[in-house]
Amino acid sequence: MNGLAFVWREALAGLRRNVTMSIAMMLTTAISLGMLGAGLLAVRTIDRTQDLYYSQLAVQVALDEPTSAGDQDCTSPTCTGLRGELTADPLVAAVSYESRDQAYQRFLRIYAGQSILQLVRPQSLPATLRVTLKDPTRGDAIVSEYSGRPGVRNVVDQRALVQDLFTFLGSVRNAAFGLAGIQALAALLLISNTIQVSAFTRRTEVGIMRLVGATRWYTQVPFLIEAVITGVVGALLATGGLVLGKLFFIDRLLGGRLISNAIPAVGMSDVLLFVAPLLVVVGAAIATATGYVTLRLYVRN
Amino acid sequence: MLRLEHVTKLYPTSVRPALDDVSMDVDRGEFVFLIGPSGSGKSTLLRLLLREESPSSGNVFVANWNVARLPNRKVPKLRQRMGCVFQDFRLLGDRTVAENVAFALEVTGKSDHTIRTVVPEMLELVGLDGKGERMPAELSGGEAQRVAIARALANRPLVLLADEPTGNLDPETSDDIMLLLDRINRTGTTVVMATHDRQIVDAMRRRVVELHLGKLARDDARGVYGATR
Ligand SMILES: Nc1ncnc2c1ncn2[C@@H]1O[C@H](COP(=O)(O)OP(=O)(O)OP(=O)(O)O)[C@@H](O)[C@H]1O
Ligand SMILES: [Mg+2]
Repeated sequence: MNGLAFVWREALAGLRRNVTMSIAMMLTTAISLGMLGAGLLAVRTIDRTQDLYYSQLAVQVALDEPTSAGDQDCTSPTCTGLRGELTADPLVAAVSYESRDQAYQRFLRIYAGQSILQLVRPQSLPATLRVTLKDPTRGDAIVSEYSGRPGVRNVVDQRALVQDLFTFLGSVRNAAFGLAGIQALAALLLISNTIQVSAFTRRTEVGIMRLVGATRWYTQVPFLIEAVITGVVGALLATGGLVLGKLFFIDRLLGGRLISNAIPAVGMSDVLLFVAPLLVVVGAAIATATGYVTLRLYVRN
Repeated sequence: MLRLEHVTKLYPTSVRPALDDVSMDVDRGEFVFLIGPSGSGKSTLLRLLLREESPSSGNVFVANWNVARLPNRKVPKLRQRMGCVFQDFRLLGDRTVAENVAFALEVTGKSDHTIRTVVPEMLELVGLDGKGERMPAELSGGEAQRVAIARALANRPLVLLADEPTGNLDPETSDDIMLLLDRINRTGTTVVMATHDRQIVDAMRRRVVELHLGKLARDDARGVYGATR
């Protein structure tokens, strides 16, 4: 009990003794963890967006004008032939038919009240066979197989259309993780250096401790606690930064009418319940490991 | 209480051993002067007893501990039963006299209650009662060494090791410190003291162990400083 009070007091005294260094250490840790957190949020957003889209995305086999104009429920030989072939294809999970009228009704629903409606006639919309795949990444096989077939106007893999968005989100994630890594290295070196300075400043004290028979708990744990405090404070600062980033950057960026339906928002609970605890654990763990290794390598026990 | 068996210590950076096949025994309650010219190995011998260093060959025993073979985690236990003082006192300048003494108890996990009772007791033992709130900078050399002795005794050691404790003190103050060490020894604490001080050794007439170039040159039960040369 006494020992706990002692190491705690010594750790705080250590942080106070070298305030500028402590602050630098905490900020660097915070930036590193903040980047890590941003990367994690990007990953989460990517996953959710993919879930959202991939459940709805399909390969659309648009039928040519004669078929589109005449066929209400895929009874023409062209349509039944295509549907039969698609249904038998081992890549395909399900096929559904959307007639020109149904397409027009859906169009009316989606763009209700917008001026684009006046430009669209039912005649300009094709009837389509919506093909959902067992493996959504294999759309290209269907595209090349069915393009140019008799009765087919064109084949569009919707997934390929949104791929650019995912590529963009993916590079945001990679950049965030990359910066997190570089900053983590800086934080690591700073923590290690601070512990060495701290140990040097306290060498007389620690020397006397060793002489009178203090265990490593007393001689080394204060330095470790210094490091852990740094890690945890860094994580809290990073969380604060992410909350601000969410409120003032992401919410505004994704808040536009167009994008808000396309990309799921980053929720406050994502930041506070998913990312923050992770950052605290990662921050504390990395700081402790750094402290331990530094003590092992540079400080006599 | 203390035993060295054919102890040789060769520092990695030196050619001549700092201690060369030294064997000696110290009984419980003895007072031993360790003398010899500079570089003869006195401090090295004390450091081996404390496990600050390990011998290159031979064995070191303190009470029931085989010091050289002691696992690292048991070294603190050994040191808690060995008090030590040095020429340069080694007090913490930013703590009061009482806090300096308390420090030894605090970092070895003693309770607040123990600390509150033992510290005044130790200060009284070394003749510093009433000076507990002073800072080390406000003390004379003799007083500073008394604080160091109080700290060394706080954990009730079996042995007190003193490396030139009077090296920085004038003769009169040295005599006072010797009286104190003698008194501590008479209460049952074994004392081993390395010194260059001829007057002190000659006045005390206690056991004298002399080292020369790392070798045991003399071991007199009631010796004087300059018997051989
Ligand atoms: N850490 C060390 N590394 C290398 N050599 C050392 C080390 N410490 C002591 N020595 C050498 O070991 C020998 C004995 O040194 P030691 O300090 O034990 O002598 P001493 O008798 O205490 O001398 P003094 O009276 O000057 O204090 C000397 O030759 C010294 O140079
Ligand atoms: Mg010496």
